[in-house]
Amino acid sequence: MDFELNEDQQAIVEAVDRLLAQQAGPARATALGNSDTVEGSYDFALHSALDEAGFSCIARDLAREDGTPAALEAALIVEAVSRAGGVVAAATQLLVAPALLAEPPAGPIALCTRRELEQGTPVRYLAQASTLWVVDEAAVTQHNLEDVAVAPVRTSFGYPMGRIEATGNLHSVGELHNAAADARRWWRVALAVEATGTMQAALNCVVGYLKQRRQFGRAIGSFQAVQHRLSECAIQVEASRWLAREAAYHNAPEEAAAVAAAFALAAADQLFTETHQLSGAIGFTHDFDLHVWSMRLLALRQELDGVGGARRAVVDARWRDATP
Amino acid sequence: MEFDWSQQDREHRQEVREFLAAELPDNWEEMSRHGPGGDSQAAFSRHFCGRLAEKGWLTQHWPGEYGGRDCEPWRHSILGEEMWAVGEPRGSQYMNVNWIGPSIMHFGTEAQKALHLPKISAGDVLWCQGFSEPEAGSDLAALRTRAEKVASGSDEHYVINGSKIWTSYCNHADYIFLLVRTDPDSSRTRGISVLLIPMDTPGIEVREIPSVVGERYFHEVFFTDVRVPCDVLLGEEHTGWNVVTHALQFERVGAARYARAALTLDHIARVAAERGMLDDPIVVDRLGEARALCEAARVLVYKVIDLRAKGSPPTADTQLARVLSTNCDNAIGRLALEIFGPESRQYASYADNNFRLAMTAGVAVGATEVQLNLIASRFLELPRE
Ligand SMILES: Cc1cc2nc3c(=O)[nH]c(=O)nc-3n(C[C@H](O)[C@H](O)[C@H](O)COP(=O)(O)OP(=O)(O)OC[C@H]3O[C@@H](n4cnc5c(N)ncnc54)[C@H](O)[C@@H]3O)c2cc1C
Repeated sequence: MDFELNEDQQAIVEAVDRLLAQQAGPARATALGNSDTVEGSYDFALHSALDEAGFSCIARDLAREDGTPAALEAALIVEAVSRAGGVVAAATQLLVAPALLAEPPAGPIALCTRRELEQGTPVRYLAQASTLWVVDEAAVTQHNLEDVAVAPVRTSFGYPMGRIEATGNLHSVGELHNAAADARRWWRVALAVEATGTMQAALNCVVGYLKQRRQFGRAIGSFQAVQHRLSECAIQVEASRWLAREAAYHNAPEEAAAVAAAFALAAADQLFTETHQLSGAIGFTHDFDLHVWSMRLLALRQELDGVGGARRAVVDARWRDATP
Repeated sequence: MEFDWSQQDREHRQEVREFLAAELPDNWEEMSRHGPGGDSQAAFSRHFCGRLAEKGWLTQHWPGEYGGRDCEPWRHSILGEEMWAVGEPRGSQYMNVNWIGPSIMHFGTEAQKALHLPKISAGDVLWCQGFSEPEAGSDLAALRTRAEKVASGSDEHYVINGSKIWTSYCNHADYIFLLVRTDPDSSRTRGISVLLIPMDTPGIEVREIPSVVGERYFHEVFFTDVRVPCDVLLGEEHTGWNVVTHALQFERVGAARYARAALTLDHIARVAAERGMLDDPIVVDRLGEARALCEAARVLVYKVIDLRAKGSPPTADTQLARVLSTNCDNAIGRLALEIFGPESRQYASYADNNFRLAMTAGVAVGATEVQLNLIASRFLELPRE
């Protein structure tokens, strides 16, 4: 048991932070969000940079002796990318893909449930992805998106989204049998990790602001009513972080993965509400970085049946067998 | 960073479980419902802690020179988890081994160590903590109980006057770890001292304060011209605030309350399953939420233990863990009422007992608001007024 980064992990985190300091950040996220092309709304440059620096396949490359993927290291990277507001499908690439395939496809992967596909709801990164994984009850179906018409969808929720125009063109290029449960476990860990990094950045943004912003002759951050709410937020973020990292470390056991998502996605709601409320009007504008993270939190909460789905999964994993 | 238990730690947990299965009496479940301060549990704890001491576990995290085994804090936390998970058969003695003994080791004279440490590590002494006063609750530095040094012949004594309040476990305690003002001209944190006093000293009177939490739960302790020799002073005179800060730096998470909460939740969920309530999506949602909360409290407490294991100075991580543990306790206390419904109207029923044990969590050991203040200043570094 050791909650401190070891030297190798420290080096990884520092390296990815250096890369992100140059190639990501809220300004870049805002610029990509304002792009009027499909290509321009996804950070292909960052995606390649993460690939080239060896971060994308770190789970496999640093696998432990018994072959278990180095998911904690992958989680640390995804947390950092989320903190930096990176517009890349790193969570799927680094955390979900290695659990499903020895050689995951290159290029962005979009992830959705069968129901989302059938209902034609907007899906994160779908317009830019080269591969789509559809998670069913039992299997995960893989689709190649190269010849499929995907329309970008305008959204308020921070990530580029797309919708498949005509599912008739969508052909499975392979089925990952019995992979659905694995996909769900890892998807939940990925959501918890992304939510953690995103919440952390949103909180940092607002705490920094409230130390400066003065009203009534004093910093707003000095009011106890404000401090307590921020302290509660900090508790939520810290707990989300350690639950997510622990679940990744243990390779996403069903209960731990569901617990991490259940906690982090509930926390995401609190973080959204509090960070906006405590920022005042400036918090709603593109001039203030908060939106880069806050709006994404709401998008994350909608994936894989959200908080309710995760809590159900907790109960199923822990107590369902006890049903007489 | 890694989250595995060592082989030794896993074995220790298993041994502790087997020990508990063998040692706890058949009526333990019933006994434990009244909490660590209950009469039957207090009596049982003397026997039980003696058995733990024989095993070498009671003070295994203490240094060898004081009868411990120099075990890592992680090892001791495993013991704490397993104890709380069955309702804390050590009773109030968890305080002795967690912080009272270590304070005496750190600040005590050789005579104090020789007097107190063997008793504590034998598991046969009960202590209570005399800090709070009617006018000094959250603002502990406002305390006024006075210990005056008076000469009588060639001897010097302290004469104590004043009162303490909310003192848990003091009806059974042999000693009180007492915070007094020794310098009458001082204010706030200066001029305070710690005295280690036998509870049977003449002039000490204990009165129960009836409460909704349970019987013999809260007490007031009155000190009227209580004369004690000066060698009961722990550490240097007037520096008691440092002693207490040192003693309690990690204590706010010393009790593994999340382990108790998790056990309760498992029981509630089993009952819900048996009654077919898992078909109700609201019940499922609440159970899932509560389980996540228990786990969240656990990881934050682990973070604090990790800091302690590394000998790091205390940080506001302690307060983060404490607040979440409180939320966890409260949430599960309330959930039990909902799952058991009208049955919980019965005093001392399962849900009622759990609820009453949980309901004080946000106030005992320092109000949640005070913890949040500390998080704001130390963790978020928000400005003061
Ligand atoms: C179950 C239980 C066991 C206890 N056992 C012991 C014991 O063994 N020994 C002992 O010495 N004491 C004990 N206590 C006392 C405990 O330490 C105090 O109750 C606690 O420190 C709060 O003090 P108070 O009750 O006087 O509340 P007050 O200080 O009167 O505060 C009342 C409320 O005001 C709010 N508040 C207070 N200060 C602030 C602030 N700065 N900012 C914002 N809000 C604030 C909080 O909500 C607080 O709950 C016990 C208490 C309980 C409930």
